[in-house]
Amino acid sequence: MLKDLCQKMFGRSLWVYHANSGGCNGCDIEVLNVLTPYYDVERFGIKLVGSPRHADVMLCQGPAMRSTSKALQRAYEAMPSPKLVFAIGSCACGGGIWFDSYSVIGPVEKVIPVNYYIPGCPPRPEAIIYAVAVALGLVDKKTAPVEFKQLEFPIPEYHPADLKGEGDLVVYEKTEHI
Amino acid sequence: MSVMSKLQETLVCLGAGRVTLPYPFKAEPVPPNFRGRPIFDANKCIGCAGCANNCPSREILVYDVCQEVRVLKYVGRRCTYCGRCADVCPEKAITMSHEFETGTNAINDISQKLDIFMSTCQRCGRCFKGAQVLDELKMKGYRFDDLQNDRWVFRSQAYMEGEPVVDDIKIELEG
Amino acid sequence: MDLNFIWLILGGLANVIVILLVAPFFQGVLRKITARIQSRQGPPIWQPYYDTFKLLGKEDIESGVSPKMQRFATYLSLASILTVGCLVPMGFRAPMNGAGDAILLVYLLTLSGICMLLAGLAAGSTYSLVGISREMMAMLTLEPLFAITIVIGALHTQSFRIDTLLSGGIYQTAGLPVSGIIMLGVMLLSFQAFVQRVPFDMSEAETEIMEGPLMEYSGPKLAIFKYAQMAKLVVFSALFIGLFVPWGSGLVFPFGWLLFWVKVFILVLMVTVLAATHARYRIDQAIRYFAALLAVGLVALILASNGL
Repeated sequence: MLKDLCQKMFGRSLWVYHANSGGCNGCDIEVLNVLTPYYDVERFGIKLVGSPRHADVMLCQGPAMRSTSKALQRAYEAMPSPKLVFAIGSCACGGGIWFDSYSVIGPVEKVIPVNYYIPGCPPRPEAIIYAVAVALGLVDKKTAPVEFKQLEFPIPEYHPADLKGEGDLVVYEKTEHI
Repeated sequence: MSVMSKLQETLVCLGAGRVTLPYPFKAEPVPPNFRGRPIFDANKCIGCAGCANNCPSREILVYDVCQEVRVLKYVGRRCTYCGRCADVCPEKAITMSHEFETGTNAINDISQKLDIFMSTCQRCGRCFKGAQVLDELKMKGYRFDDLQNDRWVFRSQAYMEGEPVVDDIKIELEG
Repeated sequence: MDLNFIWLILGGLANVIVILLVAPFFQGVLRKITARIQSRQGPPIWQPYYDTFKLLGKEDIESGVSPKMQRFATYLSLASILTVGCLVPMGFRAPMNGAGDAILLVYLLTLSGICMLLAGLAAGSTYSLVGISREMMAMLTLEPLFAITIVIGALHTQSFRIDTLLSGGIYQTAGLPVSGIIMLGVMLLSFQAFVQRVPFDMSEAETEIMEGPLMEYSGPKLAIFKYAQMAKLVVFSALFIGLFVPWGSGLVFPFGWLLFWVKVFILVLMVTVLAATHARYRIDQAIRYFAALLAVGLVALILASNGL
């Protein structure tokens, strides 16, 4: 019974640890904005703590860089379970504009598993609060994958490795192994 | 350590009341020029891939399945909402909407995929290119419009070859 | 004798249970009022209860130089504060006043401070060591203040018994003694430091040294440490009220008890307002401040031993 109570209380008081692994600080400032009186997020019981051992949620921002990926992994392993990871900003969700730079490994999910994504550059404080509310179950998700089709016949699955070139002509050829 | 000034500070802050916005429970208005998620309208898209060529994060991917079918995929992970795709689109098929509430737990929720049918020429059967911007502006060579008589001359050669020039339209008034 | 003994133990236990139930409530009030002073909505009043239950449900990662010492320090910190709670009058007369005297009180309070030092040493990381060095420096200058108060009270009442001391023992001679008034001023000015709130919480500075000695604790151990801090607020308020503001505790059962909790609420309000409007002091500024207060306390001691 005590265990159930503890699990129910998890959603009412999330302690947050902020980890910036190489970003430009734009999303840092938006996260700090969320803690100011105007967008006050402490009314949901969320508190900023200074040590990953005290935290439940890690807010990652910035892409995973070669120099900081080890530190990010150690901070993730230092958090006691149950834990959540939020990737804030387009750098943490997918590498950002710097995805092909020499020092960037890629999005944060190449280093640690991510539970919630908040795209934006930087995301508005309201967007961050909305994602937190979705995680807490207070509101519903508002996005779903979109597919527009102008054609009636089905298109086969394609992959660049199945393209074969013969001079000027490029032909799509896929051999099925039966 | 003056206690009176701290007490005055407390009273001033208490006088400001409670400024917290009741955000997730009440909608917040966005500024009019806000650039949120780009929405791709397949009915206006002509498949020129200008948006894909201009995206700074290489987030719009193009694949030609065959001559008539072109697939465009907007993978929303790295999008920085800069608006260059909307700027460049010649048909204004991309609008930067006011949606910013895009937090999800599966990043594929943000992708948009368009299957576009590319028209081919009825005579030769090949795809044709639409009008380019510079062609539409018809910026070719020098201009020698007739400023004395207020007449517009179409081509630079016309003056020298005596071709007809455009004159004012003469309308016959009835009655 | 046996029945008396049993009532004594039950009285002590009742005190402990009241402290355990009520301490997070005052912490919640503190956070809510801080939020209102900062013009924002703030967490609900029951938030520390949610925090404690959540921490009890988390995984316990044992990292640090010596995990056995970590466990020992954790349980000892809560135990020492609750033992002080058994001895302190909270609206009734002191429940277990035959079990010890005022010197035991001083030593138990010092023990609860030492538990924090043990906790930091057992964790062994650099930030913890910085935190406990600051805590040691603060304790060296702070515990003598409390000891001087107890000694002045003993001089006035000619005994070390807790029940005479903690019902206005400072004011016991005829009229209002000067040393009593001076000690009232000194304790009011240093109350924030005893309960480790903002101008003087440099040993656990949150953003500066990443929570200091408590940095390596997670889950249930952290819950116990936070509980001990919340209980310290209530116990020190009760001590302060017993020493300096005892009027009205002789009333009939509901009113005396309720008046006590009203006084505790007013003290917590004072702590909150000071904590919300001040910035944190550095350790050398704080020590200079405490040393000045210590000098004033010694002057009061000299006056008291001369009968004033």
